[in-house]
Amino acid sequence: MILPTPDQKAQWEAEGYLVFENAIQGEDLKRLQNAFDYWAEACKAEWLDRVEAGEAVATFYDIPNPLEKDPVFIDIIDYPSYYGALMEFTDHDLILLGPQVRTVAPWPVSYTGWHPDVGHSNPLHIKVQIYVNDVEPGSGEFGFVPGSHKPDAGPYKRPMRQESMPGHKTFPGKAGTAIMFNSCGWHVSMDNHSDTPRKSIILIYEKRTPGRIGPEQFASISDYCQTPERRKLFSLNG
Amino acid sequence: MPRIDAHLHVFTRASSEFPREISDVWPAEREEPVEKLLDEMEKHQIDQAVLVQMAGASIANHRYLLQCLKEYPNRFLGIGLVPEGHPNPVDHMAELTDNTGIIGFRFSTFGGPRDIFAKMDVREFAAYPIWKCAAERDYVLWLYPNAINAHLLPYLIQAFPQVRVVLNHLAVCPGKGKFSWDAFGRPQIQVTGYNLTMHTTYRLARFENVNVHLSGQYAFSTEEFPYKDLAGWHSGLLSGFGAKRLMWATDFPWILEEPGYGKLTTVIEELLPNLSEAELADIMGGNAKRILRFPDL
Repeated sequence: MILPTPDQKAQWEAEGYLVFENAIQGEDLKRLQNAFDYWAEACKAEWLDRVEAGEAVATFYDIPNPLEKDPVFIDIIDYPSYYGALMEFTDHDLILLGPQVRTVAPWPVSYTGWHPDVGHSNPLHIKVQIYVNDVEPGSGEFGFVPGSHKPDAGPYKRPMRQESMPGHKTFPGKAGTAIMFNSCGWHVSMDNHSDTPRKSIILIYEKRTPGRIGPEQFASISDYCQTPERRKLFSLNG
Repeated sequence: MPRIDAHLHVFTRASSEFPREISDVWPAEREEPVEKLLDEMEKHQIDQAVLVQMAGASIANHRYLLQCLKEYPNRFLGIGLVPEGHPNPVDHMAELTDNTGIIGFRFSTFGGPRDIFAKMDVREFAAYPIWKCAAERDYVLWLYPNAINAHLLPYLIQAFPQVRVVLNHLAVCPGKGKFSWDAFGRPQIQVTGYNLTMHTTYRLARFENVNVHLSGQYAFSTEEFPYKDLAGWHSGLLSGFGAKRLMWATDFPWILEEPGYGKLTTVIEELLPNLSEAELADIMGGNAKRILRFPDL
């Protein structure tokens, strides 16, 4: 487990985010990209039918139940390059809430506006966004307002245009980049004016609280969770 | 400031004078005439309204609407329909807008790729000539997009920023197979608990020519009036589009029995209780007057 450096800890506290360049690389990255592309293609037709039926969002789609589709999606949950930081920031009491294996279409407007995910009364809630393809500026890169995770920050108001958010920073990056952020902070997907879909995986974690995730939630992948650490991370019994 | 009901329907009995399509809900003998509407408007201090064509899109089907507009030119403006697959929609629209009081047309499809990941060339959309005509002749486009069409809208809006667009009924995009009629003879649209339009039509707020109806609550809510489960949708639209681009409407006559016209004149105060007086007045009519250019009374 790679623990965060003092500088990383200081940045996390002050700014609410960390960037891990080349967090996943080499064969691991290829394996992830292949699984992503295979399942995204396999699931697309059903997603479009659900869009037509008014049951799914039209501007992006997530591969359903990805952890059951390929173990590579399980292996990135506790991937060494960022897992140590997740553990450190949650006092080694981390649980997974779920993954979003997401393909975002190029569109004149981003599919979402600036927002925080949770309020300050929520237990520490952390997301890790992993780019599966290269994400250039203007192609749906992650945006964050450094420091906006702090209780005394703001107030913030959602601007009409993503680029108008005061104090924001954008995060283009190469495939394999992982961006960790405190979900109390204001964040967004910037507009994607390119002709390339943005492929990324958003992993959602929280500091453990009793009963937050039941043992049934990830029971279907129990065979892949043999160590005590993994069973704890996935809220499995025993 | 006038109070304007920005979306409703009137129709008379089907006849050779006023031919129209019939259905179980609007059989040939049913009528919901303009006089009945005027009574309700009078009772509840509503000054003007937008009459939206229904029960047929042919020129002949518009005769009753055209008569109402002619008879009450200061009270009403009209929205027409274009037959799907019409070989010359531009001529159809021109004929219906020749000093008639019809200011625009209602659509739910745009004839572009079903797949948002497909290459988008807006000039190849079937609706492109209609939007081009709307831009040239200053028509209003009245839109109730099917769910599979919602992703096409920003391409057209970008291409024609001068076209005034009004998204009907809380900017909801109904899904295929999700439409039905309820026991009160009202349209019902089954929607998901998570508001999917946050990621499509709500995102069009940055285009200044896009406006939204606060109407049709009865069709989406799982509660009775005042449809408190939709308060979040209303505040989301208010924060996105602002009070200057929202228009109240009743969708008469479907609401006459339940909850009744009078109650619906208070639905905005119920669902957006923190509006200032000026904001409420804008939503209840000021915006419709300005955006749709209603005549002074």
